[in-house]
Amino acid sequence: MTPHIRIEGLTIAYEKPREGGTFIAVAGFDLDVPRGMFVTIVGPSGCGKSSVLLAIAGLTTPSAGRVLVDGEVVTGPGRDRAMVFQEFALMPWRTVVENVRFGLELQRWRGEDLTARARRYVDLVGLQTFEHYRPHQLSGGMRQRVGIARALAVDPGILLLDEPFGALDAQTREAMGDELLRIWEQNKKTALFVTHSIDEAIFLGDLVVVMSKSPGRIVDTIPIDLPRPRAIEIMDTSPFVECRRRIRAGLGSEASHA
Amino acid sequence: MPSAGRATIGVSAVALFLAAWEIAPRLSVVDPFFTSLPSRVLLAAVDVVRSGTFAHDIAVSLMEFASGFALALAVAIPLGLLLGAFPTLRDLIDPPVMALYATPQLALLPIFVLWLGVGMGSKIAVVFLGAAIPVIVNTMAGVRQVDRSLVLAARAFCATRRDVFVRVILPASLPAVMVGIRLGVSRAILGVVVAEMYVSQEGIGNQISRLGSAFRVDRLLVYVLLVSVFGLAMTTLVRKLEERVA
Repeated sequence: MTPHIRIEGLTIAYEKPREGGTFIAVAGFDLDVPRGMFVTIVGPSGCGKSSVLLAIAGLTTPSAGRVLVDGEVVTGPGRDRAMVFQEFALMPWRTVVENVRFGLELQRWRGEDLTARARRYVDLVGLQTFEHYRPHQLSGGMRQRVGIARALAVDPGILLLDEPFGALDAQTREAMGDELLRIWEQNKKTALFVTHSIDEAIFLGDLVVVMSKSPGRIVDTIPIDLPRPRAIEIMDTSPFVECRRRIRAGLGSEASHA
Repeated sequence: MPSAGRATIGVSAVALFLAAWEIAPRLSVVDPFFTSLPSRVLLAAVDVVRSGTFAHDIAVSLMEFASGFALALAVAIPLGLLLGAFPTLRDLIDPPVMALYATPQLALLPIFVLWLGVGMGSKIAVVFLGAAIPVIVNTMAGVRQVDRSLVLAARAFCATRRDVFVRVILPASLPAVMVGIRLGVSRAILGVVVAEMYVSQEGIGNQISRLGSAFRVDRLLVYVLLVSVFGLAMTTLVRKLEERVA
């Protein structure tokens, strides 16, 4: 059976605008993601983990290698993939429910009341009493709930989350991870979640991909066999601690080479 | 402070000023020949309104303002959007636009008179230039400062280039466009009045200039007051619009 997402030798290089030459963000990245799996990618900042996500989203063109979704090569954005951004990327002039409608409008959804559909997803992330608020009136955690609702509303097969909780404080971050899992358990979409938090990566993922810095390569992939649904307490169990130790080792050995 | 309290202070300040202005000349502290008196200005206002040319002067000045300003918006907003969106075009047109931004538009009045005559045409040109430049500059800046992550988000949801422009760039730069319009209003009003003062045979500025030469401070102030009220009204209107789009 073909994997839902197959990444083959993905290499992404950027031109350096100032000093010239090229910067290799990602080098020879291979990964197969089965349908319904929650994959987390963890690594230091600047290791190209976000670039991998942008390539899957079709928002950046690989310099070499390719990304296949359901066996088809990705050449641009598609209705089968939706993205959640670290900086939320909500339209400040739109209300909560209008922001959730945004993706539906752009994808030209027909034959159903878009506002009613948007409202259902606003309810799903628990913002029903805030649906007419503007983003600037919301806390960071609430804004990212809007971002998640916007992505889910277009019913994508694949959810791409680019450090979605990176701009939140530690407590909000834990609560949001918990909330994300609750929502994800309901339909188990294929998810790729980029983070620099080791604990977050283990807590959320079925598989943790550990990346090294410049050029970004995979140094380890660790299956996480912790039972679901998961609760915060799981972070104190010995399998979790063992995973944490292994990831640290992967990142650490990389650091000592640098 | 509650707004009622602030309003009371504002009204008291105006009342105090008017009282001082009325009393000082009567006590020979100042010469009423130079300052006039509020009571005289009020009487002069009645005379001015009754005079045959009042409605005509107002109509001429308003017409110059409205046509110049409408023309400026019609040209400057699309041009600003275009310049913001296409860097090559911007590099080409930016230096002359910036030079004009730094130049008082009235410095070009003699040339406009040469081209368009002493009638409404040269005033409309002054208003147009005064209003268009800040709108162009601010619209351009607004487009350039659109948060890139908003554009990326739209593209992730399969937005076409047209979608990105209409649903992201346009609404995101609207507040900057409104700032440009607000700056444009004051430049346009200044343009009308001063251009009429220098070369014209009609309009509010022309009256102000004539009354100044005739030492009619009371009547002159009636026209000045009119311009102030109009400027205040326009600025308030634009501010209200700004609040709605922000």
